[in-house]
Amino acid sequence: MSNDLGQALVVSALSFAYVKEQKRQCIISDLNLIVRQGELVSILGASGCGKTTLLNLIAGLLEPQAGTIKIAGGHKHNAVGYIFQEDALLPWRTVGHNLRLAAELHHHLKASIETSLQDYLKSFHLSADIVKKYPGELSGGMRQRVSIIQALLFRPELILLDEPFSALDFYTKLRLESEFYGLIKKQNKAAILVTHDIDEAIAISDRVLIMDRDGKFSGEFIVDLKEREPEDVRGTPEFAIYFHQIWSALKSNIAYEAS
Amino acid sequence: MKQVSLENKIVWFLYPLPLLCLLTVWYFYTLDSKEHQFIFSSPTQVWQTFLRLSANGELLSNAAVTVFEAAIGFILGTLSGACLGLSLWASRIVARVAKPYMVAAGAIPIFALAPIIIVWFGIGIVSKIALAFIATFVVAAGQAYQGAVTVDAKYLRLMQVFGATKMQTFRTVVVPNSLIWVINAMKLNIGLALLGAFIGEFISAEQGLGKMIVRASGTYDMATVYVGVVALVVISLLLTSLVDLLERRLLSWKR
Repeated sequence: MSNDLGQALVVSALSFAYVKEQKRQCIISDLNLIVRQGELVSILGASGCGKTTLLNLIAGLLEPQAGTIKIAGGHKHNAVGYIFQEDALLPWRTVGHNLRLAAELHHHLKASIETSLQDYLKSFHLSADIVKKYPGELSGGMRQRVSIIQALLFRPELILLDEPFSALDFYTKLRLESEFYGLIKKQNKAAILVTHDIDEAIAISDRVLIMDRDGKFSGEFIVDLKEREPEDVRGTPEFAIYFHQIWSALKSNIAYEAS
Repeated sequence: MKQVSLENKIVWFLYPLPLLCLLTVWYFYTLDSKEHQFIFSSPTQVWQTFLRLSANGELLSNAAVTVFEAAIGFILGTLSGACLGLSLWASRIVARVAKPYMVAAGAIPIFALAPIIIVWFGIGIVSKIALAFIATFVVAAGQAYQGAVTVDAKYLRLMQVFGATKMQTFRTVVVPNSLIWVINAMKLNIGLALLGAFIGEFISAEQGLGKMIVRASGTYDMATVYVGVVALVVISLLLTSLVDLLERRLLSWKR
């Protein structure tokens, strides 16, 4: 975990409910969360427990009904970067134009995007001429790499990831997790990852949170592994111990869903 | 790849076949019968009429009038219809109010409007442009609106995360997303614009292919009628290939 204890995100007493057929369906209730600078937090939980809703609230896509969300640099338009399960690259724009989208919307980002674009492409093992291609010409893994770069070029304080690696084949997923983890740690960014994959959560997180059906965190695991390379960490004895502990905590939620 | 190119060759080889069959049957059916020639004309008569009308400039001048009327009506109708359809994206309430009017406007046969338009704008080319405009406007508006409202939510979410204004979202996502729909509207509108111009000429006009056909059919000059019909088909095909060219340029990312 990072030594920098600055807080990147503080969520206090957050509540949110969808109204469906005149019934309030409580998704998140009285939820608290602190994420520190340089910390990568994963959230696990049964489908429909409110994980994505929480990310949408933090990103400002939804308005909370109660509670507060404070993001470091929250006054800025680019406080949050969001990487979705499915890439949102505009198919009629080349990769280059997609990557420069943020600069088109906010001109002051232009210089920083131009300087760091090539470095990011290198970090994610993409060739420089990919910028001339259209998203439709790329594989799923390449598109997701471009999406991650697009979000990072926005220079957000906090990065939100909603199952970004779940649609990829296993080997691409391992590679991409590793590349992402390395870069986030290098830049000392804070990130929240929503996932269904316990392995992934352990491999790339400093902390794993379990979200229960009442929209609260019911478990917290600090991940402190000796081997920190996400590609190699799976299969180590301490990884297995974390897996067992997290699955034991998660099982009751999944059982509840099945019943 | 080899299979595809072979298939292409077969298709290109077979393209003229139905036309040749039709011409052959027509030719032999009308070869020795004055009565059949009177009712159906004949390929030879049509060809000779085509040469005569081309030489005296009648075909070109009439075709030019029809193309001008249809093209101006098409451009104005498609552009303003697309602008209206896209702008309805800005307000769901206005779009809902507009919807029944658009459906009603789309349901009116252009033939029913033609007499009114001719009374309003006279028998000159303005009334034909107006008819082509009306025929194309509704389709363009409807298609552009569909394009605007069927933007994938993930693109809108991305723009929201990027802190884009509504105008930026409109320019960056909504308009390009609607282009496929607008191009489709253009394809439909070529036929509709020609129909609008033709109907106007058919009812009352001084010039144009519609006028040429009406005048010829009144004197049972079937060869001239056929020349007019073929000219309309050729114009329609040429305009369609122009739209195809535009589609390849604007939607090059789809290839």
